[in-house]
Amino acid sequence: MNPALLMWRAASFLVAAGFVGLWQLVANLKLVSPVFLPGPDRAWASLVRGFTSGDLLAKTIGTLEHMAYGWLLASIVGIALGAMIGSSKAMRSYVAPSLEFLRPLPVSAIIPVAIALFGLTQGMALFVIAFGAIWPMLLATVHGFAAVEPRLYEVARSLHMSRLAVIFKIALPSASPDIISGMRLSLTVALILAVVCEILAGLDGLGYWVLLSARAFRSADLFAGVILLGAIGYVTAQAMSMVEQRLLRWRTSGH
Amino acid sequence: MILSATARPHPPAAAVSPAKAQIAFSHVTLDLGGKTIIEDVSLDVKPGEFLCIIGASGCGKTTALRLAAGLYQPTSGDVTFDGASMRAPRRDVAIVFQDYGKALLPWRTAAGNVSLALETIGMPASQRPARIDELLHKVGLPNHAGKYPAEMSGGMQQRLQIARCLAQEPKALLMDEPFGALDAMTRQGLQDEVLELVAASGATVIFVTHDLEEAIYLGDRVIGLLPHPGRIGIELTIDLPRPRDQLTTREQPEFLRLRRELFDFIKASEA
Ligand SMILES: Nc1ncnc2c1ncn2[C@@H]1O[C@H](COP(=O)(O)OP(=O)(O)OP(=O)(O)O)[C@@H](O)[C@H]1O
Ligand SMILES: [Mg+2]
Repeated sequence: MNPALLMWRAASFLVAAGFVGLWQLVANLKLVSPVFLPGPDRAWASLVRGFTSGDLLAKTIGTLEHMAYGWLLASIVGIALGAMIGSSKAMRSYVAPSLEFLRPLPVSAIIPVAIALFGLTQGMALFVIAFGAIWPMLLATVHGFAAVEPRLYEVARSLHMSRLAVIFKIALPSASPDIISGMRLSLTVALILAVVCEILAGLDGLGYWVLLSARAFRSADLFAGVILLGAIGYVTAQAMSMVEQRLLRWRTSGH
Repeated sequence: MILSATARPHPPAAAVSPAKAQIAFSHVTLDLGGKTIIEDVSLDVKPGEFLCIIGASGCGKTTALRLAAGLYQPTSGDVTFDGASMRAPRRDVAIVFQDYGKALLPWRTAAGNVSLALETIGMPASQRPARIDELLHKVGLPNHAGKYPAEMSGGMQQRLQIARCLAQEPKALLMDEPFGALDAMTRQGLQDEVLELVAASGATVIFVTHDLEEAIYLGDRVIGLLPHPGRIGIELTIDLPRPRDQLTTREQPEFLRLRRELFDFIKASEA
């Protein structure tokens, strides 16, 4: 690691530590009632307690599951649909207007529809999360497939590659930078919607845990949940970046 | 007129019977976007022949090559390969594109790019590594198998594209200004390499270039196109001895005479 990067890391760590210190100070001085604002010490204690003797681990896994299933479903459907639409000019011109109409639709508007269709169930959560998370991937995949270098299709023709080989060996890898950045955006959307669905439908997970803690004025537990949600968002985004760097090594190499 | 004066009658090529030609254009006309780009071109290329096509920019060289490749279909007339109509690109006719940067898969290494052709011709995975080594060695890239195109120079990328084309085991190689974007030294090196590779494989070559000396140096025959619409304006047989040499061949009086003749042709065609 080079010195400049080390400096940045150290600085951002100091800033984070400063925030925690400030938080502790505010709590200790009781500037905000402890009923609403626990100190980091109490939040941490609640976190440890929740994992060792409570069911915080189960809640975390619950949220991760909601998020992952919805995101995976969105990925599969989004990439498949995006590939179909993006690889055909005719499809693009037919479907693009509908996409433009559906895309800015706030996902919150679809939630009542989903509840009417599925009730307050896991199925509803899956549908809402997938619906919200699909857009970044779908649009990125359409763009990626439409932007494949035409010369490569000529290489494929001259080699008599099969349709399937063209998709998997040329179009998909060529579109992969777009697809992966779409998948990274969707990850955040999936987490947000997982929490929203848990709160709305009372599904087992951190979102519902946070809601119950708030209602019972267990502010330490509430903060423990919020910290965990932040950690999930951070860790999954980091993991995705690492996957991205590995898969797209060919892009960054060379001059 | 200069053109008719310089375009010598050329009995050997003209007298070749259609059955003997490997690539044959007969009265080929092509319209694109409502414009006639190629008009009434007839041309026979014999097996193993090295044919160069020259002409001013925009005269239809690339279009003619794409017709030979089966990437375009003639509006009228016929392009045949070994007697069969070119309805689509053929695996045994390989194309070397000028823009090597766009014709390689950037996400595959040098070995992976060659492998693409081997995978497609159905070579078993176990035999591929040895063949890839052999091909990369042949084009002078033996130690670069693991490099991505972005890590290679222009000359190396063009070598790689040639290696992939050789992996198709082509009967004919179609090259569109393959060295146009390279510096003079790299260019001369690659010219000699291509001559060696072609001599070894016996492939038929159509080579498009705007460099008159390159055309004479490489070719058995040089055809010059006239623009708007593209048609054949001159045809020269190059009888310079082989193997050719960058220094001595280019100094021969016959070389200089041919260069003069092509130069006058280009000047007249642009006027
Ligand atoms: N798809 C197309 N539609 C319409 N016109 C075209 C098309 N492709 C090429 N042309 C025209 O055909 C003519 C010949 O083009 P071509 O690319 O074959 O020329 P060229 O001899 O290869 O030129 P250069 O030396 O610049 O590569 C040009 O006037 C060009 O504008
Ligand atoms: Mg051209």
